[in-house]
Amino acid sequence: MSWIREGELNLLEKISANILKAGPMPKHVAFIMDGNRRFARKKHMERQEGHMQGFNKLAETLRWCKHLNIQEVTVYAFSIENFKRSKNEVDGLMVLAKQKFEKLLEERENLEKHGVCIRVLGDLNMLPLDLQQLIAKAVVSTKSHNKCFLNVCFAYTSRYEITNAVREMAWGVEQGLIKASDVSEALLSECLYSNNSPNPDLLIRTSGEVRLSDFLLWQTSHSCLVFQSVLWPEYSFWNLCEAILQYQLNHKSIQKARDLHRDHQALLQLEADRACVAEHLQHHGNGKPADARRRQEALQHYATCREERIQDFLGVLQHKRDSYYSDLLSDAVVA
Amino acid sequence: MALLYGLLWRLLLFLVHINRALVSWLRVRLRSWKGRLWERAMAALLLPVALAGVPDPQRKVNQEPGANANPVTGNRSAGRRSRWLSDGRSLEKLPVHIGLLVAEEEPSYTDIANLAVWCMAVGISYVSVYDNHGIFQKNNSRLLEEIVRQQQDLLGVDGSKCNVEFLRQGSDKHQHHVVSCWPAVKVLSPEDGKQSIVQAAQQLCRSVENRERSSRDISVSMLDLLLRESKSVPDPELVVKFGPVDSTLGFLPWHIRLTEFISLPSHRDVSYEDLLGVLRRFGSCQQRLGQ
Repeated sequence: MSWIREGELNLLEKISANILKAGPMPKHVAFIMDGNRRFARKKHMERQEGHMQGFNKLAETLRWCKHLNIQEVTVYAFSIENFKRSKNEVDGLMVLAKQKFEKLLEERENLEKHGVCIRVLGDLNMLPLDLQQLIAKAVVSTKSHNKCFLNVCFAYTSRYEITNAVREMAWGVEQGLIKASDVSEALLSECLYSNNSPNPDLLIRTSGEVRLSDFLLWQTSHSCLVFQSVLWPEYSFWNLCEAILQYQLNHKSIQKARDLHRDHQALLQLEADRACVAEHLQHHGNGKPADARRRQEALQHYATCREERIQDFLGVLQHKRDSYYSDLLSDAVVA
Repeated sequence: MALLYGLLWRLLLFLVHINRALVSWLRVRLRSWKGRLWERAMAALLLPVALAGVPDPQRKVNQEPGANANPVTGNRSAGRRSRWLSDGRSLEKLPVHIGLLVAEEEPSYTDIANLAVWCMAVGISYVSVYDNHGIFQKNNSRLLEEIVRQQQDLLGVDGSKCNVEFLRQGSDKHQHHVVSCWPAVKVLSPEDGKQSIVQAAQQLCRSVENRERSSRDISVSMLDLLLRESKSVPDPELVVKFGPVDSTLGFLPWHIRLTEFISLPSHRDVSYEDLLGVLRRFGSCQQRLGQ
């Protein structure tokens, strides 16, 4: 089964989609595709077949999202915790992933036509090397596409992602690129695996579970959460519409909460800068109390320098991530 | 055409709103009807006991010094207390730490205090109260007073047994509220969420800056320890969200990895039965932890 499904919506679906599109639409939707195994049990299938049907549903959902003008989708494909499952099942999932990424590479032209950019979020080092190389190929070859984005979380947990971001910042400090006092909420967000995406507007979890299971904890703190009882392989266009409608009902209040949070963050940054400048003046100001104008200038100067430092650091970090992929690819060529 | 779709969308939204209002109205009506029935049944059951004049064993428990002077209310609150405790015991599992997330414009201190007291009465050890404006944290003393008052009203206990801790850096002036350690009500604001993760990150980066630690040593458990140390509370297993907004609104992102989210339409006039319903639903949730 392929990643990209062609085909239009039927008339009723099209009308409903147009009605929904008259309201505010989510630009980025995240899915926890739960219920594949329960579906297989219910239908007396092999577990692997349930996972396969789950993937097919993802391809179908991507088609719906395209028709609903949702440019970005993030899915939870494999958690670090899933490595605890039986070896049989983990191996099966790895084989499935390999097949799917191979398929994706075959479909490169189609992906280009639709402008689909694939990103994989997680610690790829935990995966078998051949899968890592396939992923690197898929990511690098679709990197320049910019019409729609599919983020696949693989060997991922949110706590691990946050910890990794902290590690990257500490590495920046070690390298002398940034100072410990530059660490802020905005910088941490930029060091996450998801640094190239806006935060999801809507998070959907299927199969009736009402928890996040270590998925995008940081990014969804102001997202609309929708828990639906349907099993993932049975997910329908109407389920998606229902979730979007719920997002639209929430839209205003969540937007307000986001604005409040952003203002607060800006205030915190200003306070942090002030504290740093005050400390600096105390050490280098020859003991003279600085006048208000000089202090203001120093503050502005400090903020500009901080911003430059951070931009340099983020550039280096991006380069480090890019070269991880290119190293994998060159290894693959040698092998 | 776009105009027509726009109109239809508005109509759809309107219908959903009506539907919601109707459901919540029905819920209230149904509850008050059930409540009356329950009262009558209880009265019918308790009447023979009162006539026989059998001394209630629980009355003795309540005659501690500092407890209620009025034996009638004392008896009632003791009965209530044991009912609540047995309700808690009858549940399959009970959270150790519960979060009360208020996603509404106007907070009601009495209702949140009621909820906190009920949670403690069924045997939950830690209660965290959160709203994304930080209103409860700003008015923490008012909430504390309300909780103590409700505790006396509902349980007939001496208020000093309650311990309310307000998490906030630099709020030393509230330190005197921290008396004992069980049960604990914590009042949280967005600053205890992402901001506390940023502070932990800063702390780690400082130690790297001072060459006390290498960046490679930083691990999930290290960060977890730092974030836990400042809270000394287990992660909340259950968050009850009140209000029409379906979002966590910044509630402790690090700590809600495995938290079950259950919603109630409003915390205003919330009843004990509502809370019990949520706890029952929580009791039936199963976690597979990735397996």
